[in-house]
Amino acid sequence: MHEASIAHELLTLAIKECKNSGYNRIESIKITVGRATGIMTDALLFAFNVLKEGSPADKALLVIEEIPVRGVCKDCGKRFESNENYLIFECPSCGSFSIELVSGKELNITEMEVSNEN
Amino acid sequence: MKIKVTTKILDANDRIAEENRKMFEEAGVYVVNLMSSPGAGKTSLLEKTIESIKDKVKVGVIEGDITGTNDAERIDKLGVPVVQINTEGACHLDANMIAEAAKELPLKDLDILFIENVGNLVCPAEFKVGENIKVMILSLTEGDDKPLKYPLMFQESSVLLINKIDLKDLLEVSIEKIKKDAQFLNPKIKIFEISCKTGQGIEEWTNWLLTNIS
Repeated sequence: MHEASIAHELLTLAIKECKNSGYNRIESIKITVGRATGIMTDALLFAFNVLKEGSPADKALLVIEEIPVRGVCKDCGKRFESNENYLIFECPSCGSFSIELVSGKELNITEMEVSNEN
Repeated sequence: MKIKVTTKILDANDRIAEENRKMFEEAGVYVVNLMSSPGAGKTSLLEKTIESIKDKVKVGVIEGDITGTNDAERIDKLGVPVVQINTEGACHLDANMIAEAAKELPLKDLDILFIENVGNLVCPAEFKVGENIKVMILSLTEGDDKPLKYPLMFQESSVLLINKIDLKDLLEVSIEKIKKDAQFLNPKIKIFEISCKTGQGIEEWTNWLLTNIS
């Protein structure tokens, strides 16, 4: 996937959010990443730590919560859950590709710690 | 202090694709992202399609290739506005390239814009460019095993055009298998059997397209 461009976008959004709230430093950013997004969290973390330098987030910790994949097969009706990365959208029971994902596509900022430092 | 936020992080490409979508919507132009392997017949399909519809609707084209202007020259002969993008190595078009190329087109005067993606059955399916629909071509000579080998493109496309249908008696390839596997991957996919050489099926496809954009 495209971790560097996602890290850039995440940083831009977080800095904007921080300024809008009247603060000038970001201490930490919590994000959720679904396991069906195809995002490699190690690569995302690496890109974040490179890109944050020289920004109001240059000491910020990125906390990544991975969300498992949950889905329902439209053919066999079975529910499934997986904590593995999930890229081929296939029912683990019957092999059908006609599935509905309930979770796993998340890519959100959920919480930030901010402060003022002169 | 802590602040609670619920902000979706989009990939930068998705964000620009959404901006493109708004720009096309405001200009009132319907956008088709056309994808296939190299040599499946994207430019031939555009030639046939444009000949068939250009008296009814105003057409524009963005041509994407790694290098060269051959395809844009073919489209230019049909008298419709065309812009060539050379990706200089990139294996797909992205939303930013389309944002730049669109500046060269009279968007407000167009009813339909075709974006011919770089020939590749993998990467173009992953990058939105701001289109209304994705249309893919699979030609019979590529073989009937392709839907299950390249599932994403079949899952992302609204329309599958099976091209070179005039060769079916010469090839050991099952059209039924292509259709069955494509529908297995994507139950909603609309399928047309066409031949850009003989013109078979082109009218069904362009009728469907014209109904969809009006």
